[in-house]
Amino acid sequence: MENEIHQVIPIQPAPYSRSRQAGEAQTVLDHIVDDFEENPAAMQYFYDLFRQVYCHGDEIPHSGKLVGTTCIQAPEELIYAFGATPVRLCNGSYHYDQRGADFMPAKSCSLVKATLGMLSSDNVIPKIGKPDLVVNPSTCDQKKKSSVMIEGMGYQVYDLEFPNVKESEASRVYWRRSVREFASELRKLTGKRLTRANLKAAMAMTGRAQAAFRALHNFRRQTPSLILGKDAFLVTNAYFFDDISRWTVAVEKLNAELAERQAAGFRAVQSKAPRVVFTGSPPIFPNLKLPLLIEEAGGVVVADETCSANRMLYDMTAVDEWLLNDMVDSLADKYLKPCTCPIFTRNDDRKRRLLDLVDQFKADGVIYQAFSGCQVYEMEYRSVAEEFNKAGIPMLYIETDYSPDDQGQLSTRIEAFLESLKNRKKRRA
Amino acid sequence: MNYFAGIDVGSTAIKVALVDEQGQLAGVHVTASGSLFHKNSTEALNTLLNKLGLHRDDVRYLIATGYGRKLFKEADDSISEITANAAGAFETGKAYGGVRTIINIGGQDSKAIRIDPTGNVENFAMNDKCAAGTGRFLDVAARNLELDLEELGDYHFQGDKAPLNINSTCTVFAESEIIGLLANGHGKSEIIAGIHYSIASRTVRLAKRVGVEDRVYFDGGPALNKGLVAAIQDELGRELLVPDYPQTTTAFGAAILARNDYLEENAG
Repeated sequence: MENEIHQVIPIQPAPYSRSRQAGEAQTVLDHIVDDFEENPAAMQYFYDLFRQVYCHGDEIPHSGKLVGTTCIQAPEELIYAFGATPVRLCNGSYHYDQRGADFMPAKSCSLVKATLGMLSSDNVIPKIGKPDLVVNPSTCDQKKKSSVMIEGMGYQVYDLEFPNVKESEASRVYWRRSVREFASELRKLTGKRLTRANLKAAMAMTGRAQAAFRALHNFRRQTPSLILGKDAFLVTNAYFFDDISRWTVAVEKLNAELAERQAAGFRAVQSKAPRVVFTGSPPIFPNLKLPLLIEEAGGVVVADETCSANRMLYDMTAVDEWLLNDMVDSLADKYLKPCTCPIFTRNDDRKRRLLDLVDQFKADGVIYQAFSGCQVYEMEYRSVAEEFNKAGIPMLYIETDYSPDDQGQLSTRIEAFLESLKNRKKRRA
Repeated sequence: MNYFAGIDVGSTAIKVALVDEQGQLAGVHVTASGSLFHKNSTEALNTLLNKLGLHRDDVRYLIATGYGRKLFKEADDSISEITANAAGAFETGKAYGGVRTIINIGGQDSKAIRIDPTGNVENFAMNDKCAAGTGRFLDVAARNLELDLEELGDYHFQGDKAPLNINSTCTVFAESEIIGLLANGHGKSEIIAGIHYSIASRTVRLAKRVGVEDRVYFDGGPALNKGLVAAIQDELGRELLVPDYPQTTTAFGAAILARNDYLEENAG
């Protein structure tokens, strides 16, 4: 009798598709797809991809060793050159954010907490398997302190040393050496050698992907817009984990459709829809909260200055001499010189780039997102705001995190901001 | 005669304002929001129309604003309460030489708005996602002190003791702090003054974030509380302009915008 009472009833683990994180992804994806009209047909590839990976938990096959990166400062061309596959681990799930709260103080960045939460779970999203190596560039403090914790979860972690001062020659030399050390780490991991031919091939592959991104970026200059920002963010988010060649083809198809839209005089938004440049903490699926609120309220995100999109893909490598040493140096420079990350002591390039984007994309205003606890973005707001005040460009600063409970308040603030942009335009006309 | 309506569906009260073709205020009506937003909004509008001897057909254009703006489907358009509040304060402030900064305290949020000399919103800030420093905070405090909300203002000026510090910003924690102060034998008036100063300092911080310019206009239900007005004036170091009907500025602004939109659409 007693045995019967103490019997443990075996519980079958629920399939991934019934997990909370799958539900979260499903809700956001349905919203992105169903609540907006006339989505580009070529977006179907990306909608299906996210459904497959985030909602069903299907694995994407990859070749060679799998190298997880926690930041865009890890040169992916090197990873490809060694026959390995990079996957960006930065996570946007509120579910994992809550889980990751065990590792970090309460007032920490949602992105870092969510990434830790995901890595500590059985379901490493995107499901392309457990990384053989996690590369953690020493950028912001919260990421720096994550290394030890990720190691504690049973991963092999490599600290990629990254300088804090961008302009100095010492930083440049230091960073070039750091990239070389990263290459020898990859050599140990893969047992392969870095050659001029395989690095050149890797650079050509990312170069083609970047060219496709640039073309997409340029289509967004069109007034009225041809595509919404929520779709553009989904495209660049897919770059985190998708097979790079497949991704490039899909973006090229999307670009072809946008060219048709342009020729047909198609408009994705009303002609008076306020045009917004998005900057600050990166929107990462499923946390597309702010871009979606902006576009639900009748605005359109025409360009961005974030590390989940523009900053990740815009700047190309400029090689002088196609010799291995020069190629590695040029590659290192690409990851340091154009970078507009707020971890640097001074960051005038970011202000210049933002002003440039507003000008080129005929934007009416800027929305600045800072994740609560992301100190560098919070602190840099002041100097960016001063610059924009001087230039007479309206900017809305929003401090938020992954939790959905401030959506009501945020929608009021965003609507009011868009209304004021519309009024400004009316008065100027 | 053509009339234009603004309806502000707030978290605590529904406010309706009606203006005529010249933009003159024809009448206002305020009622509790209750749980049936839609029904109560319709009734509030009808009550005001009856009071003025008007019909629904006389209202040419209706703009909804406030927390429940999307729920009132009969409206021709909806607009955020920030834009509506700015429009109402700008219009009301004209008689007093113009307004550039607005402080609004509502039932569940508080905001500061800066407008340019033509009435367009330049900058605004809202409290974060909790009830600290809002009308709800006064509600809770009044209940703890066994007073009516309307009595708080007078108590502020009574007694001769300095206002007590209320340190908690969270409404729930402040509630237990108030109970603690009562248990320690402190008088109601110094507690109430302390509550007013606690709200005032939060509100002034918000206002300073958007930049205080020229005359400061204070509206929203809590602006009826003279004690709170005095505390904010003290913290701000400036006089506040409080309208006759502080609760209905936003509804009035929505009505003004309804009139402008209607005239614009029918100009040709």
